[in-house]
Amino acid sequence: MLQVKAGQIEKMGLLFERYHRALFAFFYHANGHSAASEDLVQNVFYRMLKYRHTFTGEGEFRTWMYHLARNVLADAAKKHKASRYHQDVADWTEKIAGASTADGSLQQAQDVALLHRALARLSPDQREVLVLSRFQELKYEQIAQLLDTTVGAVKVRAHRALCQLKEIYLKLENGSKVREL
Amino acid sequence: MEAKFVNCEQVQEGLMDWLAGTLPSTEHQTLEAHLRQCPGCQQELTAVRALWTSLGQLPTPEPSEELRPRFYTMLAEFQATEQRRQRWSLATLLARLRAWWQPAYALRLAYSLALLLVGLAVGHGLKQSPALPAPVAALPPTATGQQAQVLELLANPSAVQRLRAVSYAEEVAPTNERVVAALLSTLNQDPNVNVRLASLEVLTGLSQDPVVRQGLVRSLQRQDSPLVQSALADVMVQLQERRSVRPLRQLLRQENLNQQVKDKIEQSIESLSTDRAPQPSTSSTDHEIHPATTADRPIAVAA
Repeated sequence: MLQVKAGQIEKMGLLFERYHRALFAFFYHANGHSAASEDLVQNVFYRMLKYRHTFTGEGEFRTWMYHLARNVLADAAKKHKASRYHQDVADWTEKIAGASTADGSLQQAQDVALLHRALARLSPDQREVLVLSRFQELKYEQIAQLLDTTVGAVKVRAHRALCQLKEIYLKLENGSKVREL
Repeated sequence: MEAKFVNCEQVQEGLMDWLAGTLPSTEHQTLEAHLRQCPGCQQELTAVRALWTSLGQLPTPEPSEELRPRFYTMLAEFQATEQRRQRWSLATLLARLRAWWQPAYALRLAYSLALLLVGLAVGHGLKQSPALPAPVAALPPTATGQQAQVLELLANPSAVQRLRAVSYAEEVAPTNERVVAALLSTLNQDPNVNVRLASLEVLTGLSQDPVVRQGLVRSLQRQDSPLVQSALADVMVQLQERRSVRPLRQLLRQENLNQQVKDKIEQSIESLSTDRAPQPSTSSTDHEIHPATTADRPIAVAA
């Protein structure tokens, strides 16, 4: 990134190759919409170029990248408040379910779908902490830096989010069991 | 540290580190020790760990094929605009220069600008005075645009144009000494015989002017074309210009003198020295080139 900053803009291609999947996953888990997520990924890389002078090289690149990503996400959320989450998560999990049925692992597919739905019902803040720590595999220190808070607070938030997720998950599981009966 | 994980609350604090695998080993042992004693915590932890694990297994779809080309298009466009911006940054550099600027420099700059202006003015004046004189300024005060045009045309590389200039000179500025000088120099130096003859014709009309007469006499020695030589000799006889006898005699001494011209000059000298009326010849060549000068004279049969 420092090379990009120094004017070798074409080096951005390397960063794209390395991180576009992770960013896509970040957005996908945040809004559950893959086409929109792609737009946002593109947006993040554009901002990286545009604001490359703000990258000091002191912190880790990923922290900076997620910092931009969070801003992009927040801006997008402001723009379309109505279209949040769901939509194609449902489509997609059904596809998974269909594929898995062929493998005979219907139960697992249902679990995945259920977990997706549970995740969708978390508050954006809680979901974000879980996504960053679990999917993006950022360390709590990095998340704390990113969210501008202490490591302890991040851990507490992550723990609460996880507990919340568990509760939602269990509720959904019970609900579906009830429906099955 | 050893006091940690003695109660369930503290276990929960360490839980996230434990899940992320970043719990220090000593605390890890303490935690496990607590779990053995506390089934509640154990149950909770197992459930949370299962959830954590399945979260990790949650698949993420691949971004579509369009993402990559879109990114590279954007990158290329960005590079293009960036290059354009760099040109802009030159303007920023100038702005910075302006910021660095101090009032003291203003005086120096004003001074140098004034000097520069003076220099330019002087240079302009110097450049203009020699440039204009050639066609206009060196002309006498009476010089007009037409005269300037005549002079300009006389210098034209095209013989046709110079011929036009000569006849034009007769119309517009026959008495102007500058034009007369130019006509004389055309008579003496023009490479084209017809142009020389034409100017001779015009100058003959101006022969009241002593300058013209003298110029014509002097011109005798300068001519090498038989046509012009005989025409000049005719003019001398016509004008009864005795001063031309000497140059005419000198002309006779030239080795390669045309026989016809020789005869004519001898005639002319004779005519001039005997102080008789003009006896111009009407040689055929003279007629062709000089119809105007000979037409108004009495036609005589050639000797």
